Amino acid sequence: MSLKNFFFLFLTISWFAFSSEQISYFNPPNHFPKPAYDFNSNRLTKEIKELGRVLFYDPVLSKDNTISCASCHSPYNAFAHTDHDLSHGINDQIGTRNAPPLFNLAWQKTFMWDGAINHLDMQALAPISHPKEMNENLKNVVKKLQNKRIYPSLFYQAFKDSLITGEHILKALAQFQLTLVSATSKYDDVQKGIAQFSHQEKKGYLLFQKNCNSCHTEPLFSNQKFANNGLPIDTTLNDFGKWMITKQSSDSLKFKIPSLRNLTYTHPYMHDGRFQKLNQVLNHYNKGIITSQNKFNDLEKSTVLTPNEKSDLIAFLLTLNDKKFVFDHKHQFPREILK
Amino acid sequence: MKFYTILVFLFLSLISFAQQSNETIQFKLSFNHNSIAVGNKYFNHTTSDSISFDVIRFYISNIQFFQEEAFAFSLEKKHHLIDLGNPESLIINFDKNTKQNYNLIKFDLGIDSLTNVSGAFGGDLDPTNGMYWTWQSGYINFKLEGVTPSCPARKNFFQFHLGGYQAPFSMVQSIELVILDKKNIIIQLPIEQLLEKINLKETYEIMSPNQSSVNMAKLIASLFSIST
Repeated sequence: MSLKNFFFLFLTISWFAFSSEQISYFNPPNHFPKPAYDFNSNRLTKEIKELGRVLFYDPVLSKDNTISCASCHSPYNAFAHTDHDLSHGINDQIGTRNAPPLFNLAWQKTFMWDGAINHLDMQALAPISHPKEMNENLKNVVKKLQNKRIYPSLFYQAFKDSLITGEHILKALAQFQLTLVSATSKYDDVQKGIAQFSHQEKKGYLLFQKNCNSCHTEPLFSNQKFANNGLPIDTTLNDFGKWMITKQSSDSLKFKIPSLRNLTYTHPYMHDGRFQKLNQVLNHYNKGIITSQNKFNDLEKSTVLTPNEKSDLIAFLLTLNDKKFVFDHKHQFPREILK
Repeated sequence: MKFYTILVFLFLSLISFAQQSNETIQFKLSFNHNSIAVGNKYFNHTTSDSISFDVIRFYISNIQFFQEEAFAFSLEKKHHLIDLGNPESLIINFDKNTKQNYNLIKFDLGIDSLTNVSGAFGGDLDPTNGMYWTWQSGYINFKLEGVTPSCPARKNFFQFHLGGYQAPFSMVQSIELVILDKKNIIIQLPIEQLLEKINLKETYEIMSPNQSSVNMAKLIASLFSIST
């Protein structure tokens, strides 16, 4: 074999190894659309994603080393925080919004309830720096990690550089979060043709498609847009949503439309966690909508569901629970590394 | 055959190396014609009291050279963090082909919108430089912080964090300057001229993208000049 041929063979093999590595950590099913995240700018590798997992679970990211990402984004709650209407942070402080679940983030173009963050890489900066969440700054995190025994070698394995940087911390955290793909619910099995809805679930699916799908669009169950869903304003919070960032009056009271996957694990619901039960949510859309300036037009003609129809709809929504994802060991606390 | 190819290649690269010349762009941040040093006190004529600076830090991007309006060459490194607290950052070294002439420099004050929406970067763009907002995404293009007794803010501390990449509050500014000395380009930014137009008794905190930050960015961009 000539040197040239050998070189091409080598290139082909390494390309194949490279892309197959990416596929083994990020392998959405065919019924999912193309992800929004640019994987060319942050190539998935085992070492980087695992470093991201360790960082995600390590409270070293907070000022007093007490709060980790997982404090508010627990794996057993589809990375939300069950039973907490508003998120709890450093020194027993309470925030102003409900911690959203984390999954299928590779398809998300904006982050946070108000869309303040424009890229998954940059998202972690917000909770790390927020005085009520982790109250730390990235520069100090770099210093702490550089001095913590396990990290220089983990960063070396991941980035071939034991000198820790802000960029590498953010990219590692992003990689771990990119691998949080929820695509193994009963709904997904039906889409893959390996399961069937029950009679009631099927009826609920039809109701869903007629009444909910325009905002909570399949298969991610969000169209990624922002809407005012007619909730009365909570005057103890006075949260005006997207307006707080853009200061455009047309954005007042608009919040990110959340996914409907994994609802059983992620209650309470809405940006301020005001509803404990799915029934309360359905009641809001049936008769609780407050008409105001920026109300999303699709809600003008909301149909009133009968009690039976509500049960059918909920039966369908429960097929979006992804137990396999929620209890997947790959995403859980890295016992082998952190104590 | 192969051996000669390599030899020719080496020879050519040697020649091109010989034709490179080393040049510099130097940023001089001054107050009443004095170079500013962090923490030093200066006299502010506009408010008739002393003033000192803790931070003057900004991004210069896309440095390009022109000869009679025709593009000559650009610097490979796209974004430069210029930081008063880091003297090395005030000088940008570059190699250029001696055949290339220029008499005009163009650059941007700030970071373009594409870079702003493309995730994490290292080096001058690393968020640990304190030039990236955390409560909303986006680079801080220009940061000015200091103390002057007549400033009514807490501890007389004024702070301007100018940024924003989205309409209608996009901040990045294009600047072009005629070059006089080609070997050593010195770009001046006289801060006292900024403070003549911004009264620190009234305006002392801008920390989000809005119309005031855009106005101030335009003002700062107009103050850059090449020293004679």
